[in-house]
Amino acid sequence: MLNIEHISFSYGKKQVLQDISFDVAPGEIVAVVGANGAGKTTLLRILAFILMQDAGNVVLDGVDPLLRPMQYRRWIGYLSERCPLYEEMTVLQFLTYRLRLRGERILRERRRLKGALESCGLEEVSKKEIRSLSSGYKKRVGLADALMMHPRVLLLDDPLTDLDVARRIKIGATLTALSAHSAVILAGHEISDLLEWCTRFVVLKEGRVDALYRVCEYERTELERILIKALCEDDEGGQR
Amino acid sequence: MRAILQTWWREMRSLRGSFYSGAPVAAFLAVSGWTFVMLLRRDEGSIAQLQSIWGCSVAPWLPVLCSLLTMRLFAVERFSGMIELLMAAPVRERDLVIGKFLSALSLVALALLCSLVFPALILPRVSEPIRGCIQPIALGATFGILLLQSCAWCAAGTMISVMYSNQAAAAVTSLILCSGMPVVIYFGILAWIPSVRTGMAWMPLLSHVVDFSTGLFSSAVFIFYGVLSILFLFICSKTLATLRLR
Repeated sequence: MLNIEHISFSYGKKQVLQDISFDVAPGEIVAVVGANGAGKTTLLRILAFILMQDAGNVVLDGVDPLLRPMQYRRWIGYLSERCPLYEEMTVLQFLTYRLRLRGERILRERRRLKGALESCGLEEVSKKEIRSLSSGYKKRVGLADALMMHPRVLLLDDPLTDLDVARRIKIGATLTALSAHSAVILAGHEISDLLEWCTRFVVLKEGRVDALYRVCEYERTELERILIKALCEDDEGGQR
Repeated sequence: MRAILQTWWREMRSLRGSFYSGAPVAAFLAVSGWTFVMLLRRDEGSIAQLQSIWGCSVAPWLPVLCSLLTMRLFAVERFSGMIELLMAAPVRERDLVIGKFLSALSLVALALLCSLVFPALILPRVSEPIRGCIQPIALGATFGILLLQSCAWCAAGTMISVMYSNQAAAAVTSLILCSGMPVVIYFGILAWIPSVRTGMAWMPLLSHVVDFSTGLFSSAVFIFYGVLSILFLFICSKTLATLRLR
């Protein structure tokens, strides 16, 4: 479905990503983990076609974003790390605006909105202004925006921050249901939560793929220990 | 087309009732009104056209208004990070640019209409000699050239706004570009090559307003502002696209 081949990217002289390659199939939920500055957000931005890689290819179902950007972007749902929103709008107005901006048909609008509000638990606050919501609710609005159009690939940058435990479990269930017909790639640090519903882990270290782990091939506690160890080593390396 | 409409609608919504749009429009109306009164006093007893006086009282302040209204268009999106979501959505850069540009232009048109209230409605009621002498077509032509100039200023402001994430810096730069550059270029060229003085007599932007308000239409003026607007919007769209490279 999504092929990432030899991606490299640098900000000026600083090399952020080097030769990143992996594939994501439909039904997979892939977690990209790594210490701060490992290149997780940059990788997701490249996959969302917000940044353009210096080298390498990204191909989604045969579509190269450099050749057919509109088609590619139609198949992508993206939640940014900062989760920016138009604060003066109500939740419903914001989601309607985003839906229409993407060119969704009016007949499908109501169904899409209802589904997104339900899956992210936003029905009660749908008529409230975004500026009056807590950061957890704002995150949910961003998430609803990302998954509203049932994208083929959902890219989530730190989706679990600011969410309470109950909401994390629900979001996990939503993503699992969504992964039946699309792929999910997410970046985060919450290893124990991610282990509940991710099928694969990609560990980034200093802009390179350090390791790939299939969850089904490991015991949960063992994998958790390996991942935490990898992240701690990376962090110590960064401090040195 | 739908993306343009949606972008326009959202921008209009955010501009409506906002301090950042209300304050510049109010200041523009106050300053242009004051200039109008000053010019009326100066030209009292002469045979100056009322629509020309109105046009000349409004035109110098248009670059300032356009700079202040356009400074936030992209700068705020870049500052808040919302630009990422816009760039990840299946929307063409040019649609975003046109939608935002049209929202600023709509507000400028509204401000121009408000500034027209005094010469078109109030003045004929209080002044006996003016009553019945104002031709709506002449006022319309003046409004047209002012709107055409606003197109160029708004396009320049939109272009500058996409280059900054700081709206104040965007406003200052577009103000310099809109108000300062034409004057500097004009006097610079005249000082350097005095022989072109006659050929460039059309350059001062205020003379376009006077010409149009007195019925002297010129296709060169349409082309000048049209090309300028398209050029600025084109650069803006391409600048937005190159944000991906950073």
